[in-house]
Amino acid sequence: MLADQAKAMQRVCFGAEPSEADLELLGSRERWLVYRELVQNRLVQVIEVALARTRTAIGDEAFGRTVSDWLGTGGPRTRYLRYVPSELADFAIPIWRGTEAPWVAELACFEIGSWSVRHAPQDPKPEAEFAFDRRPVLSEAVDLVRFEYPVQKRPRPAAGYEPEPTLLCIYRGADHRAHTRALNPLAADLLDAWKRADETVADSVQRIAKAHGTEIGPAFVEKLSALIADFVERGVIVGGSDA
Amino acid sequence: MSRNLGGESKRAVTGIGLGLRYDLATELLDRQPTTVSWLEIHPENYVNRGGRYQEMLDLARRDWPIVTHGLSTCLGAPEPFDASYLRELRGFLSDLEIPWHSEHLCLGGVDDRFFHDLLPLPFTEEAAQIASQRLIEVRDAIELPLALENASYYAPQCEDGLTEADFVVDVLERADATLLLDVNNIYVNSRNFDFDPKAYIDKIPADRVVQIHVAGHFVREDGLRIDTHGEPVPDEVYQLLDYTLRKVGPVPVLLERDNNVPPLDELLAEVDELWAIYRRATEDEHAG
Repeated sequence: MLADQAKAMQRVCFGAEPSEADLELLGSRERWLVYRELVQNRLVQVIEVALARTRTAIGDEAFGRTVSDWLGTGGPRTRYLRYVPSELADFAIPIWRGTEAPWVAELACFEIGSWSVRHAPQDPKPEAEFAFDRRPVLSEAVDLVRFEYPVQKRPRPAAGYEPEPTLLCIYRGADHRAHTRALNPLAADLLDAWKRADETVADSVQRIAKAHGTEIGPAFVEKLSALIADFVERGVIVGGSDA
Repeated sequence: MSRNLGGESKRAVTGIGLGLRYDLATELLDRQPTTVSWLEIHPENYVNRGGRYQEMLDLARRDWPIVTHGLSTCLGAPEPFDASYLRELRGFLSDLEIPWHSEHLCLGGVDDRFFHDLLPLPFTEEAAQIASQRLIEVRDAIELPLALENASYYAPQCEDGLTEADFVVDVLERADATLLLDVNNIYVNSRNFDFDPKAYIDKIPADRVVQIHVAGHFVREDGLRIDTHGEPVPDEVYQLLDYTLRKVGPVPVLLERDNNVPPLDELLAEVDELWAIYRRATEDEHAG
């Protein structure tokens, strides 16, 4: 009995159109529609904060339709309100790839990446300093994105973004907000490898420099040192591990 | 810093507390008002989260005793618990030096989906049985005392069930549990469903009450009261708090403000009002 009522509550709160049978089972049509409004408003509110620019780009009506379609799948699987926008994005971005301008899906990815970085777990406590003969330990709040459009640039051009290959490190700054740092292709591959942390820094540098046809000479070492120093200063690199 | 902790240890949770919320944290943590004796947090906002929330928690723990209040453990859900979440919760709570954890007597989800709101349980024996079993299960899993909180509800209950107060007492007794008594919820329910809130309080076993919540609520144009925690505490709720404290004695009282958060001084004025009621009610009770 309780299980039947609970499932009716779920359908009333999340379904595209609550059925009269469910409303009758629950006992008060008017009041259960209040619950539907309360439940949906809370979820929509956090989604709209996380995806504010995407919503503006798509328009309220189309954005709202996608949110409703997602809610209609049964509601969030996460107990954490901060993860609700990511669940919506997993559902919506493939749809927007087919229905919106090609940069819109990348804008949504960028906003969700920034949101996720901002709310990411605490940084690990590294056992050692960052060193070339160790595996790198990076902050939990770091993401690498590879876009075809520079969607991080604001304001958005009136006609939308023109293609421009864009590699970004998104990281949580000391102010607890998400920031970006532009990367070249080699630096992006290094960051990718350091995030995986399945080889030493030296091994990753040698492998990636070779893949890019780049000689490890004084100029390269100078640029690599500057990149590492910058990542340390921004809190992207937090240490090293001998494991 | 001197706080209203009486003669008890620094981590004792007594007197008037405030919910730690993002919107008021900066000013609260900077000013450290001495009239706020303890803080309450929602674990769901902090588990596996760094950044500002971690910083807020670290600063709060440095200066105040903490109590935790869950939002998602769903004491009324008919399905088994997510064991991995209970382990995660236990790990989080075990570091906090808290005297108890609390959770709502409501339905928070179904089929591994979450409402992110507090939906009402039917006041039936079946629901009381399920909720009490789940309360025991969570209490065992977190290895801490677990108080249940009476919830607000907006949809009328079937007429052949229990009254809300009888339902709450039934769950408390089945689980031998303690109660976080939300005075605003009782007031809201009493106005929405036309019952005497003092009669409800009278039915609650006073020795089971370990904490009290007070808050404001929103009154819609059609008269329905919604437990928003987004308005100042109304006089009627202050009066019901006074009545409750005279029954249950000096248990800690929390001011909840989650939405439409005003400048801190406005909240501190409400804290002062709560202190006045708290002192008057508990001193009168002891004198009597």
